[in-house]
Amino acid sequence: MKAIQRNLPAIILFVAVLLLWEGAVAFFAIQRFLLPSPSVIAAAFTGNIDRLIHIGWFTTKEALGGFAIGCSTGILVALATARWTVASETLMPFAIAANSVPIIAFAPILNNWFGVDNPFSKMMIVAVIVFFPMMINTVRGLTAVDPMMLELMRSYGAGEGAILRKVRLPNALPYMFSAFKVAATLSMIGAVVSEYFGGNRSALGVFITQEAAQFRFQNAWSAIIVACMIGLTFYLVVLLIERLTIPWHSSVRNAQSN
Amino acid sequence: MTDTIVSLSHVDMTFNVGRSNATVALKKINLDIAAGEFISLIGPSGCGKSTLLRLVGDLLQPTGGAIVVNGKSARQARLDQDYGMVFQAPVLLEWRSILKNIMLPMELRGLSRQEQEQRAHELLQLVELEGFARHYPWQLSGGMQQRAAIARALAIQPRLLLMDEPFGALDEMTRERMNIELQKIWQQTGTTVIFVTHSIAEAVFLSTRIVVMSARPGEILHVTEVDLPTPRTLDTREHPHFFELETDVREWLRRAKGYPVV
Repeated sequence: MKAIQRNLPAIILFVAVLLLWEGAVAFFAIQRFLLPSPSVIAAAFTGNIDRLIHIGWFTTKEALGGFAIGCSTGILVALATARWTVASETLMPFAIAANSVPIIAFAPILNNWFGVDNPFSKMMIVAVIVFFPMMINTVRGLTAVDPMMLELMRSYGAGEGAILRKVRLPNALPYMFSAFKVAATLSMIGAVVSEYFGGNRSALGVFITQEAAQFRFQNAWSAIIVACMIGLTFYLVVLLIERLTIPWHSSVRNAQSN
Repeated sequence: MTDTIVSLSHVDMTFNVGRSNATVALKKINLDIAAGEFISLIGPSGCGKSTLLRLVGDLLQPTGGAIVVNGKSARQARLDQDYGMVFQAPVLLEWRSILKNIMLPMELRGLSRQEQEQRAHELLQLVELEGFARHYPWQLSGGMQQRAAIARALAIQPRLLLMDEPFGALDEMTRERMNIELQKIWQQTGTTVIFVTHSIAEAVFLSTRIVVMSARPGEILHVTEVDLPTPRTLDTREHPHFFELETDVREWLRRAKGYPVV
């Protein structure tokens, strides 16, 4: 009940935008291929639901696979470089530079390497996209430790291994969760957009481009909604895990007391 | 057999040796501390009090002289967890409950889980935080956090406690209460304390000896013996001899800063 009350303004805004959209399409007699009305999109959505679920799941698997590969290698590389200061100081500028490169531009090349029909090619694109934010954030979390905490650990005769397990890793968790949230959103975007460059017939991005090419824009819109829903779900799942994993962190504490 | 727990002979400390910004922090420090003593280090800002404390704890290494802690090198004493350290800030790990924070040094020592918990609960009682075992650091006030930090330092039953302005960030009332509590803990545990402070009253109230240091380069200017009766209570502060000792330390501190002595 309280949740509804708190989110009431957002719900009202959402409904108002839909009504305005519907009204505007009817009032200005906007052609369907330019902008279908919400009711037409909803009809296309329910009409194609089986197919949408099928292709949505196909692309979700690509996004999840890429997320897993990219995040785990990002964390491993971060652990390796944070251990050796020289390595992280050498690698970090490159990682930060690479993070601002539009990696999606490499999609046709990766399609060529791994096969355009092979979901693995999309996973690799997603993996490369999420790798950099994951690695950069983890390195920051491992190294941005209060110097007094390091002194405290040394005063107890703790070695680097104990410091890593008891201080650096827990300290890195909030940083890593920021990266996971970014990566969750990026992985869905990466998977759909890489499919625009060609891919398996049962992929969400391929469906959107094909339906758009044949002027069935209401179908393209319904698939876009599926992509949004998957991306949002992914993000919310990560958010939930964050709240359960690091309840002590100020970002989570503040979110819960609000 | 000697009951000297810390021995500093001809200790020099220079930062950035051989560079243009070389700074001599400490010069020719000679000091022997007997087991069970409460030593305060007092002096102008930047005189190297904290540096001296870190040298004893092997968090820094001297550029000259010898340091013996608990009959061994400072490094070996650190690795053997012979001392506990309390910093100006509580430095509690925010992802651990108060209980788990106090268990940290015992974890590193490899004590059994049961032993860790039992001892941590005893310590919580000692610092009067019994009800806060499951709380997280941010749920406690500054004074309570600092008490938890003291409990953590005592967890491994160290023969030596190094305290770097532990009450510097607390308000006057809390500070006075903490002084009384620390004194009680010192008497109950029989541990040796080296205590860095800026407060003359705090030093006189707590110490058996007060080491007054000069401005940089830090040298030992004077050692004041505090012969007030123990245990010290709130009334101790009203004792005429308390004022005499305060005045004595204050005059040496004025000398340390190069002010005229009135």
